[in-house]
Amino acid sequence: MTTIPYIDMLTVMIVFGIGLYTLLITRNLIKVVIALQILVKAGMIALVLAGRINGQVMTGQSIALTVIVADTIVAVIALALAVQVKKHHGTVDLDKLRNLKG
Amino acid sequence: MTAQTALTLLLAIPLGAAPVIYLAGRIALKTRVKSGGASARILAVLALLAAMVPLYYAAMHFTSTGPLTLDINRISLQMDGISLLVALTALILGLCVTFFSTKYMQNDEGEEKFFALLMIMIVGIIGLVCATDLFNLWVWFEVMAVSSYLLVAFYRSQPDALEAGVKYLVQSATGSVFILLGIALTFAQTGVLNLHEIRLAVSAGGNSPIILSASVLMLIGFGVKAALVPLHTWLPDAHSQAPSGISAMLSGIVIEAGLVALLRSTGAVIVSHTTWGYLIMAFGALNLLVGNLMALRQTQVKRMLAYSSVSQMGYILVGIGVAVYTLQPEGAAGGFFHVITHSLMKGAAFLAAGALLYALRMAHHNHEPLTVSDLDGASQRYPVTAFFLAVALLALGGLPPLAGFMSKWQIFVAGFQSGNSLAIALVIFAAINSVLSLGYYAPLVNRMYRHEPSDLVKEGKPISWVMVLPLVIMTVAIVALGIWPPLVRWLTTPAAMSLLAIFGG
Repeated sequence: MTTIPYIDMLTVMIVFGIGLYTLLITRNLIKVVIALQILVKAGMIALVLAGRINGQVMTGQSIALTVIVADTIVAVIALALAVQVKKHHGTVDLDKLRNLKG
Repeated sequence: MTAQTALTLLLAIPLGAAPVIYLAGRIALKTRVKSGGASARILAVLALLAAMVPLYYAAMHFTSTGPLTLDINRISLQMDGISLLVALTALILGLCVTFFSTKYMQNDEGEEKFFALLMIMIVGIIGLVCATDLFNLWVWFEVMAVSSYLLVAFYRSQPDALEAGVKYLVQSATGSVFILLGIALTFAQTGVLNLHEIRLAVSAGGNSPIILSASVLMLIGFGVKAALVPLHTWLPDAHSQAPSGISAMLSGIVIEAGLVALLRSTGAVIVSHTTWGYLIMAFGALNLLVGNLMALRQTQVKRMLAYSSVSQMGYILVGIGVAVYTLQPEGAAGGFFHVITHSLMKGAAFLAAGALLYALRMAHHNHEPLTVSDLDGASQRYPVTAFFLAVALLALGGLPPLAGFMSKWQIFVAGFQSGNSLAIALVIFAAINSVLSLGYYAPLVNRMYRHEPSDLVKEGKPISWVMVLPLVIMTVAIVALGIWPPLVRWLTTPAAMSLLAIFGG
């Protein structure tokens, strides 16, 4: 096992932290989707980094490419839901989506 | 048919059917304005019936020669005991749900999309349980998750369904990122992705903080889908707002598939199986308590059933936790038996509730939820459906001689046999919870049989035989498994052995 390149590791942590923080504080559905995207980007960097650490650069990058595809589908669905939410609730504020409780 | 062809076809038939169903539905809709969904409906039922054939051959091969593997370039799939059990349950439940939905979804817009997505969901589950590679596991998991987001928010003009869909999507997508980070850490540390090779590398490398963080990240990520208690908050909303057939699928098989993914991935990266067994048992206790207490205070039928899924998940976790802790197969056999019986019982309960919802509300173009008091005296107007709902509910509550009693009994016996005082205490706790759960199942049965019919029931539309037939099949299975549990021993014993193999027993 090689030592982990600390700067790259730090980047993953910072990007992940930004994503998680945004996800937790924001109440706007569009911003939540953006936060999810930032989170996934941290995962992608981590996968590429993992490939580099153990010398399997191609595996790491091809996995990251697959993640991009899967992640795009999720983003498209999330935005489609956001459009419908705006249409039927009249807002994208998540604080107003509070019918289901208990 | 060779085993490899069988496994390929098992995945290829539903996957190939999905676009065909969608296109057939669209073309029919374009050419003949009425009855556009008919071709989609028929194709969906046929595709699942056709997928039964390769599953039969795969099962034959499995029982005679053991696990079968399929290699497509570097992607490797393996059908072991757990995969066979979950795939069979998914197909049977999927077939019942598809048949039920042919009537239930008949007048809804976008019917062809519904059936196409249902096929993708089923293939996602089958692929998920067959994956032998950590990253493939994630890809199949996403396939299953994406189709279920769309199906939960299927009634896209209903504000509540959208709210449930958003909640589900955000929680589940965050969970997948945690899994990705876990995969990256594992990959960085071990340099392999195959679950078996990871296990070898981890046991050779010993305890390291990186692997420990990876296992925690995977526990959180897959735990969202498996509805482990602090992460279950999406479940009651999603299950109650989805179309009833999808509620049955989500409750009956999707959360169990999430649990299988959790066990497979964490089984490869943990070092101490005793600690992990304790952890799973602790989650089991939490699920039992929280699920039951929340279900007690629900007034909506489908929401109550959703919380009851949380508590039923607890029994499965208790059984599997005991097995992981002791590395004895009995607990896991009980847990997997409960996977089968729960999918039948909860499937029947959701479908029966859905049939009543359809007759009482949706046939009047009303999307309001069905409350418990709406079912007052339902047995007088709908004797057959009410009977099946009552059987399913009592089986969930664990009344002998129904299937739920037998699977719970097997879990309890395994807990006592383990001889561990904590496991015994947990089993007693689970048995008490089983009594507690009758506190919300029994009043519903009582209302249906002993109250005067409500106005809603009097005005209800008749229920078609298409909706009743899946209920008949599932109820017969519930009673048969309750009277003669060894009927599925050929499935549960290999599944328990596979689980022990995952945890290195």
